[in-house]
Amino acid sequence: MRKLILLALICTAPLAAFAQATPTPNRLDGSGISPVNASQLPTPARYGETEVDILGSYYQQNGDHSAVEGGIGSQHLTDTAPTILLNVPLDSTTRLSANVGIDYYASASSDKIDQVMSSPSASDVRYHADFGLSHLLADKLTTLGAGAGVSKEYDYLSFNLVGSWARTSLDGNRQLSVSGQAFFDQIKLVTPAELRVGGTRNHNYGSDTRQSFTLSLVYAQVLSKRLQASVSVEPVVQRGLLSTPFQRVYFKDRPDANGQLGTLGTALAEVLPRLRYKYPASLRLTYYATDLVQLRGFYRFYNDNFGIRAHTFELEVPVKVSPFFTLYPFYRYHTQTAADYFAPYLAHVSTEEYFTSDYDLSAFSANKVGLGFRYAPLYGLGRFKAPFGGRITKFKSLDLRYGYYRQSTGLTANVVSADLSFTMP
Amino acid sequence: MRYSVVFRPALLGLLLAGSAALPSCVSVAAYQKAYLNDEDMKLATKKVETPEVNFESYREGAGGANGGKVGGGCGCN
Repeated sequence: MRKLILLALICTAPLAAFAQATPTPNRLDGSGISPVNASQLPTPARYGETEVDILGSYYQQNGDHSAVEGGIGSQHLTDTAPTILLNVPLDSTTRLSANVGIDYYASASSDKIDQVMSSPSASDVRYHADFGLSHLLADKLTTLGAGAGVSKEYDYLSFNLVGSWARTSLDGNRQLSVSGQAFFDQIKLVTPAELRVGGTRNHNYGSDTRQSFTLSLVYAQVLSKRLQASVSVEPVVQRGLLSTPFQRVYFKDRPDANGQLGTLGTALAEVLPRLRYKYPASLRLTYYATDLVQLRGFYRFYNDNFGIRAHTFELEVPVKVSPFFTLYPFYRYHTQTAADYFAPYLAHVSTEEYFTSDYDLSAFSANKVGLGFRYAPLYGLGRFKAPFGGRITKFKSLDLRYGYYRQSTGLTANVVSADLSFTMP
Repeated sequence: MRYSVVFRPALLGLLLAGSAALPSCVSVAAYQKAYLNDEDMKLATKKVETPEVNFESYREGAGGANGGKVGGGCGCN
């Protein structure tokens, strides 16, 4: 009999994995809303708790439409990007956030900027750091935020400023957030080697500027006990240098001295208008279908004055395999029309005012599929003393995901990313 | 404009779900928000998803309204 009970326990043990998930405890602010770009309202559980996220990602792509070579050539690129996110309470109403990281990337197409010697950008590092403050006002419904950031790579220096305002309704079922952001960029005019004034080895590049201004409006609404949605519009204005100076364009009416098309020296650097308006609008829905399955949906419509019109749809289905283990397959579909100024290799005419062979601006559809999992035990994965200050740190959760991306242009990409989340009381 | 076989039905489904839910919009009390407070119910891009959102904004001419970046440096070519 004892053996029979033991055998039954062993056979039914895997079913425990499908036990109903325990919902997280009610938050006293009760909002249940954390719309994009809005500061999350602090909750009593988060007071005094420093949050640290260590993010890491590896991205690798392959294709044969390199913009540096005029729409032909390898697009092979790898990018390794470790990032640290900090969220530190200064008091019960004010939090300091930081986002610091690097991108280490190696690009086959960048090596073709300089045909004479190894390019300085065949592999390069981008450094970025952003800092922000958010403050909950005395009414406990309004959050103000401000921040600034910097980003630097071999040909690019960017500063940004951001300000935000968010207000939650008294019952916590609605939230409106407004944020504005401005980017001020300085760009080194690294042109293809054969187009450099003063010879191929002349590295006295000129410079140009770009400014980007964004207004983000997000309205989030609880629709029922299991369903909530948010609508977002984010108009963007960009002015200044919007083209990439080292991207070549080959023309069908610019042969070399021997009458050959597409030879080195017959290309020009791409030229795009110096003003761009973007009008994206999105709808996001999350639905708690059952204790086992939730649905996360996203749709975006995009339009701009370059002639690109796009639709993007995403669906993620988190499945709670156990109370602490979530498996989430996801799918994304994107389709866009080409920019008015795009044409492939040897298709442009040199009388055109603007021209590019950058396939990012071409007409294509793209599919992305992937799988992720999150493991977040009730008492964390472990505890240890932090190396600085010796504070007890809880390894709260692990989130890992893989995505495979494929464009109809032939570009394919794989991306793996991980989020290790820690808290310090 | 080209659409895949799955795109139109999926978009229609999402819009129908949204529109069907609107009339049933009710005031939900704080103590009734156990489901809405679930980690997977957040109306935002997950932190771990950020690298993907960023590369999509570089590889596609369209971007924004999803929490991704809309300016600044690139870290790619």
